[in-house]
Amino acid sequence: MNSLTTYLFIAAALFIIGVFGLLQRRSLIGMLIAIELMLNAASVNFMAFNRFLAPDPVIGQVYALFIMGFAAAETAIALSIIIALFRWIHSINIEQARDLRG
Amino acid sequence: MTVNAAWTHDANLLAAALSALTPFAAFALIMVFTRPHARVSAGISIAAVGVSLSSAVFLLVRNWSMQAPLQITGSWLISGDIHIPFGFLLDPLSLLMLTIVATISCLVQVYSLGYMAGDPGFSRYYAFQSLFAWAMLTLSISPTMIQLYIFWELVGLASYLLIGFWYEKFSASEAGKKAFVMTRLGDIAFFLGLLVVLIHFGNLNILDMNGPQAAARLSPALLTVSALLIFGGVMGKSAQFPLLTWLPDAMEGPTPVSALLHSATMVAAGVYMFARIFPFFSYSASAMTVFLSIGTITMLLSSTMAMVTRDIKQVWAYSTISQLGFMVMGLAAGGYAAGVFHLTTHAGFKALLFLCSGVFIHQYETNDMVVIGRQGGRGLRIPMACMTLAAAALSGLPPFSGFFSKEAIMGVLAGRHNPIWLAAGLLGAFLTAYYSFRLIFIILRPTQTEEVHAETHGGHGNGHHAAGLYWVMAWPLMILGAVTLVLGFFESSLVSFLVGPKAAAESVGGGHHAWLLYAAVGLALGGVALAWMEFGRKGSSQVGFVERLPALRALFANRWYLDHMYRHFLDYVIYGTFSNLFTRNDRRVIDGGIDGMCRAMIGSSRLLSFAQSGMLQYNLMVMFVALALVALGFYFLG
Repeated sequence: MNSLTTYLFIAAALFIIGVFGLLQRRSLIGMLIAIELMLNAASVNFMAFNRFLAPDPVIGQVYALFIMGFAAAETAIALSIIIALFRWIHSINIEQARDLRG
Repeated sequence: MTVNAAWTHDANLLAAALSALTPFAAFALIMVFTRPHARVSAGISIAAVGVSLSSAVFLLVRNWSMQAPLQITGSWLISGDIHIPFGFLLDPLSLLMLTIVATISCLVQVYSLGYMAGDPGFSRYYAFQSLFAWAMLTLSISPTMIQLYIFWELVGLASYLLIGFWYEKFSASEAGKKAFVMTRLGDIAFFLGLLVVLIHFGNLNILDMNGPQAAARLSPALLTVSALLIFGGVMGKSAQFPLLTWLPDAMEGPTPVSALLHSATMVAAGVYMFARIFPFFSYSASAMTVFLSIGTITMLLSSTMAMVTRDIKQVWAYSTISQLGFMVMGLAAGGYAAGVFHLTTHAGFKALLFLCSGVFIHQYETNDMVVIGRQGGRGLRIPMACMTLAAAALSGLPPFSGFFSKEAIMGVLAGRHNPIWLAAGLLGAFLTAYYSFRLIFIILRPTQTEEVHAETHGGHGNGHHAAGLYWVMAWPLMILGAVTLVLGFFESSLVSFLVGPKAAAESVGGGHHAWLLYAAVGLALGGVALAWMEFGRKGSSQVGFVERLPALRALFANRWYLDHMYRHFLDYVIYGTFSNLFTRNDRRVIDGGIDGMCRAMIGSSRLLSFAQSGMLQYNLMVMFVALALVALGFYFLG
């Protein structure tokens, strides 16, 4: 069972949980966490492919590191947007931020 | 021989280019550099027109016995089969016109030194004068109708600028506009006529149009149509019958401008163009008959208008229209040399009449002849003598120049089968003599001379600071007076220069009838006598026979209600019908269409915006579904 497919299934499950969380959560923090899950699913995929298909160059690991850095940056920006929004509508519930509805 | 010929060619080219282009250089110089320096501007302009005059005289003398027309051209526009050259055409007619225009322009510009002295727009005035001279000189020596048309329009522009020279005055700017628009109306027809010729004949070269191939290549109907259309330009420019009312209004400009406009340039351009393509016009006999009747109507109508007005310049303006009609009659009756000769003599005496009137107007600051007479207008001896002389020439009294040219035209008219033209011509001669001498007698023999000291005072006041100016204005008068006196005696040499010695002998021998001479002079003298009876003799009432009939007087004074008719036409047909329709089309169809499109766009956007709930997750959902569908599509189809 210790094969590529196992890891791909785990990554897919993670990704689907992330998508579900993103679409279902109304809290912006929750949505942010869901996005993190999806990013981690991608990292798991990279690591698995690196390990089983092309072990010699460690590109997959480099990608995983990049994704972590990228996720940190993205979290910082997302949090600052959330804070700005909170100052404006005193809530981080996405249902409150509907000014652009037609 | 060839070397000699080449040299001739060059000298002619040089002189033609000099005469045509120096005024333009003067115009550019004045406009760009010397506008603040009035004296420098005037000097430049007069020097330039002096160069033109000497080149023109040089060309005239040099080519006096020319055998064939000389044409110097360079290609300007080539498009497919159409080839339009620019350059110079030197033949007797163009050389004569060149000399007339240069002479009159030069004299008028010298005269203007006095008349326009102290005017704030002095430099501008001379710049426009130079522009005018350039346009008219180049028009005279155009080898193609296209070049002629271009400079024709430039002449129109220059006269617009000069008529509306005192643009602060509302009536002056209106008059300029009227002149521009009315002549433009004729020019549209002119241009259409040129297009007809260009399309069917493929060439607008004047010599080719006058040659036999034009008649061979164009069908008679086309010839008539194009001749009539081109004549539209003459109608506008030379103030012929339907389009004649702009010319009396053009009196709003400075008097020297009127002199220039009426004698040698603007209005003469129309008759000159007629003479220029005279052979082309004569291919169509029916068109020539139309021209003849238009000329006749114009001549008689404007003579009647001149009989009632009290404005000294307007009398001469109407007489210009009537003399132009007379020239058109002469030309249309087939008298090429007679018409051109009358154009020449008329240029001299009409310029003289206007310049003399200008002296009176400058001195007494009024256009009203009765007031001028009462204030002692006859005290100004030189203008008075010159004006009487010119009026005699205008009336066709021997031995002044107008007598010879009028007799020539009468001779041509007598050669027509239908006697009505000759009768109209004789009636016109009678009326001309009557209204000219009406003016002369009113100024010369005023019924009462009130305000005598006002006159002497004014005379002194002006005399002190303007003695020099008076002489600047008097010299051109005397030169023109001398020309008016002697020009008539050069009839035979001028005619033989124009049409060649053989044809000249025929025209002089064939056209003259002794009784006609007596009849014309007798009628002119009758007109003078009637004027004397009513205005000149002691105790005369100074009321003309026309003025005793109020209805007739109102008709003449209102210019046969032509302006009213135009006004009605404009109000009801142009504004009421066409403008109205176009405005509605603009408002309803074009504006409405665009507004409707905008409204439809806004409405549909509003409908679409209901799909925007503002919920982030719905957008994300749509995004994921779309991506999933794309992925599935790639998986199964790709």
